[in-house]
Amino acid sequence: MKESVASTVVFILLLFLNTSLLNGQLPPGKPEILKCRSPEKETFTCWWKPGEDGGLPTNYTLMYHKEGETITHECPDYITSGPNSCYFNKKHTSIWTMYIITINATNQMGSSSSDPRYVDVTYIVEPDPPVNLTLELKQPEDKKPYLWMKWYPPTLVDVRSGWLTLQYEIRLKPKKATEWETHFAGQQTQFKILSLYPGQKYLVQVRCKPDHGFWSEWSPESSIQIPNDVTMKDTIVWIFVAVLSAVICLIMVAVVALKGHSMVTCILPPVPGPKIKGFDAHLLEKGKSEELLSALGCQDFPPTSDCEDLLVEFLEVDDSEDQQLMPAHSKEHPGEDRKPTPLDPDSDSGRGSCDSPSLLSKKCEEARANPSMCNTPEGIEKPENPQTKVTCTRDAQSTRLEGKIPYFPADGSKSSTWPLPQPPSQHSPRSSYHSIADVCKLAVGTAGASATLLGKTDTHALRSSKTTETEGEEKAAERREVESFHSKTDQGTAWLLPLEKTPFISVKPLDYVEIHKVNKDGALSLLPKHKENSNQTEKPSTPEASKEYAKVSRVMDNNILVLVQDPRAQNLAAFEEPAKEALPSLQENPAEEDLASFTSSPSSCGLQLGGLDYLDPTCFMHSFQ
Amino acid sequence: MDNKGWSLKGSLLPLLLLVSELLLGQSVDSLPICPTGAVNCQVSLRDLFDRAVILSHYIHNLSSEMFNEFDKRYAQGRGFITKAINSCHTSSLSTPEDKEQAQQIHHEDLLNLILRVLRSWNDPLYHLVTEVRGMQEAPDSILSRAIEIEEQNRRLLEGMEKIVGQVHPGVKENEVYSVWSGLPSLQMADEDTRLFAFYNLLHCLRRDSHKIDNYLKLLKCRIVYDSNC
Repeated sequence: MKESVASTVVFILLLFLNTSLLNGQLPPGKPEILKCRSPEKETFTCWWKPGEDGGLPTNYTLMYHKEGETITHECPDYITSGPNSCYFNKKHTSIWTMYIITINATNQMGSSSSDPRYVDVTYIVEPDPPVNLTLELKQPEDKKPYLWMKWYPPTLVDVRSGWLTLQYEIRLKPKKATEWETHFAGQQTQFKILSLYPGQKYLVQVRCKPDHGFWSEWSPESSIQIPNDVTMKDTIVWIFVAVLSAVICLIMVAVVALKGHSMVTCILPPVPGPKIKGFDAHLLEKGKSEELLSALGCQDFPPTSDCEDLLVEFLEVDDSEDQQLMPAHSKEHPGEDRKPTPLDPDSDSGRGSCDSPSLLSKKCEEARANPSMCNTPEGIEKPENPQTKVTCTRDAQSTRLEGKIPYFPADGSKSSTWPLPQPPSQHSPRSSYHSIADVCKLAVGTAGASATLLGKTDTHALRSSKTTETEGEEKAAERREVESFHSKTDQGTAWLLPLEKTPFISVKPLDYVEIHKVNKDGALSLLPKHKENSNQTEKPSTPEASKEYAKVSRVMDNNILVLVQDPRAQNLAAFEEPAKEALPSLQENPAEEDLASFTSSPSSCGLQLGGLDYLDPTCFMHSFQ
Repeated sequence: MDNKGWSLKGSLLPLLLLVSELLLGQSVDSLPICPTGAVNCQVSLRDLFDRAVILSHYIHNLSSEMFNEFDKRYAQGRGFITKAINSCHTSSLSTPEDKEQAQQIHHEDLLNLILRVLRSWNDPLYHLVTEVRGMQEAPDSILSRAIEIEEQNRRLLEGMEKIVGQVHPGVKENEVYSVWSGLPSLQMADEDTRLFAFYNLLHCLRRDSHKIDNYLKLLKCRIVYDSNC
C-alpha cells in the first residue's frame, strides 16, 4: 500500500513538472553583473544582465555586504540608473572598502543567483565627459590665427577639493577628414591649436581621466569654421597674373615655333669654318700635302709689314731657262732620296719664284689660267714614296695638293694654285715655297728651314699626317706662326705657299741669297748666303764677306729677278738704303741690261745702274757649278 | 652696550617669526615658511607638497601595476580575492572612508595619519623585496617595482616629516604605526599559502598607497591652494 501511495505521489509531481514544462515555464536563469562604475568616487552604480526569464515574470534583487561587516543589504535604488541597475548613493558608498554583490533572480518557478562580484569603488572610477566645450578663432595682429578651446570638468566631479584630479585629452579634425588629431592636455582646461587649414570646418572633442581611473567618453562634437586667409582681392590679382603669364608663354611658344630656326641662327650663329682659297679637302684626305699646298692660291701674298724686316728668302740661282728659276729640281730628282732627311739648311731651296711679291701675281695668274690638265693619280702619296707619279705639270700637282687639304674649298681656285716651280715630284729637296710665316720663322731662327717649311705646309694642310719628315715641335711652332699670320690675311690667302718638297734632301750644293728685306713695293734686299752657315736666320752680324744684293736689275720673262750686288752696302745700316732705292728700280725696264753679265763672278756680278744695284742670280750659279 | 642690543634683537626676531606663524595659521603659503631655528630651510610648502604628491602618485602607480602583474601570473583561479577580506594590518588605523570624512579631519591629524601609514609600511616593504628576490623564477617586473616602491616610500616619509615640521611645528608625535606580522606567511613552504600571503600584501599595498595619495592631494588643495585646485 505504501509503495503504491509513494509512486502515485511521484507520478503526480511528475505530471505537474511535465505540465509546467509543456507550458514553457522555468525558473529564471542565472543573472550576471555586467559592470559597476563610479562617476566621481562618491557614488557608484552596478548593472546586471538578466538570464533566461523562463517565461515568467522574474524579480531581480541585488544583495550586498561590505568588507568587515556581516549584514547583508539590498540595493537602495533600482531606478535612478535605469533598468537592471542599482545605484549606490553617497551614504551607501564607502571608499577603500570591498563590496560583495550578488543578484538574485526569482520567479514563480524558482530563483537563481549570480556569482558574487567583488567591487572596490576606488578602482572603478569613470567620470562623465567634460562639459561646455567652446571654440574660438583668435587672430592676433601680425601673427597667424590659432584656435583656442576651453572646457569645464564634468559637473559631478569634485576637482576643487582635490578629491579627484583630472587629466584631459582633445582631438580635432577637418570635417571631411577621416583621421583624428589627438593632443594630451594634462590638467589644464584650455588648449591652443596653431596649425590649421584655412577654409576648413573643424570638429573638436574632449575627454578626461581621473588620476587612477578610466577615460571618459568623448564629449559631443563642437565645430568651427576657419576662414580663408586669402582675400577676394588677392585672389583676383593672382588670377590676373596667372592669365597674363600664360598668354606670354603662349606667345613665346608660337614665336619660337614659327621662327625657331631663324632664331637659333640669330642666337647661335654658325661658326665659320676656316677657308683657304684653292684648298681642296680631298687632297688633304689623301695626304698629299705638297699638292694641297700647291693648289692653294696665292692671293694676298704680299707679306705684312710686320714681317718685312724678318723676311728671308733663299733664292736658288739656276741658269737653266727651261725651268723658270727652278732648273735644279729636275736634275736632282732622279737621284733624289725620297726619304726625309734631317734638316739641311743649305738645301733650303731658294726658289722663291713665287715668294717674291713681284712674281706672285704673274705666277698665280698663270696657274689660274691653267687648271689641272692632267689626270693625276688621286692616291695619297707619302713623301717617302719615291714612285711618285710626276707626269703632270705643276698644275696637276697643285690639284693633288688641293685634294689633300679638306678644309679648303676645292673650287675653281685650282687654277689659282701656286704654280710649282719644281718638277712634279713631291720630294724636291728644295722647298721652293715659303710662307711668309716660314720666312719669318727662319728669320727668328728655327733650325732646318726646309723642315720648317714643310712643317708649315702640313700645318696648313691641317695636320695631314702623311708627311713624316716634319718634327712635331716645329710643326707646332710654325702653326702658331702660321696662325698669327693667318689672322692677318684672308682665309684663302695664298701666302701659305704650298711647300711640297721636303727640305731635307740636299744633293747639289747651291748658293743661296738671302733676301734681307722686301719692301711693300716688292723691292728686294738681298744678302749672300754662306754654305756653312746653317743658321738661316737673318742676322745682322752676317759674315763680313757677305755681300749685299740690294737691287733688281731687271725682270726677265716676267718671273725672273735679275739681281745686282750692292757693294756699297756692307752692313746692316746700309741695308735700308738699297731697299729704298730698290723701290723705284723695280719699275725700271730691263733697259738696264748692262747687268746682263751673268757669267761674271759674284763680285763682278754686281752691276751698277744708275745707283741701283742688281744681282744676277746666274752669276752665282756659275760660281758654284 | 652694543652687544646687549644685538642680543635683544637676536632673541626678538625668532619670537616674532613664531607669533606671525601662529597668527597666520592656514595661509602659510604666502610666507617663506621656515620653523624657528631651522637650518637649510629653503623649500617652500608648495614645493614640498608638490613633491610629495608626485611621489605618492608614483608609488600608487607602481603598486597597482605590481598587483595586476602578480594577479595575472600567479593568482588566477585560486580565489584569493575571496580570502583577502579585512586582512590588511593597517585596518586598525582609523582612516576616513569617504570624502566627507576626509574633509572633516583636521589637516594636522590627517598628516599624522599619513605618517603612520607610511611608517607602517617600512617593514613590510623591506621584507617584500627580500622575499620576492628569493622566489623561484622571480619575476623581474615585480622585483624591480618592489625595490622602487621601498625606496620611494622612504623618500616620501622624509618629505612628509618635513611638511609636518613646517605645518605643525613643535609637536612631536609618538611614532605610532601598525605592526606587520605577515612575514612568516611569506616564508611558508606551502605554495598556495605563500602566494596568498604575497597577494594579500600587494593588495593591501595598493589600497594604502591610494589612500596616502588621495589624502595628500586633499591636503595640498586645502593648504596650498585654499581648496581651489
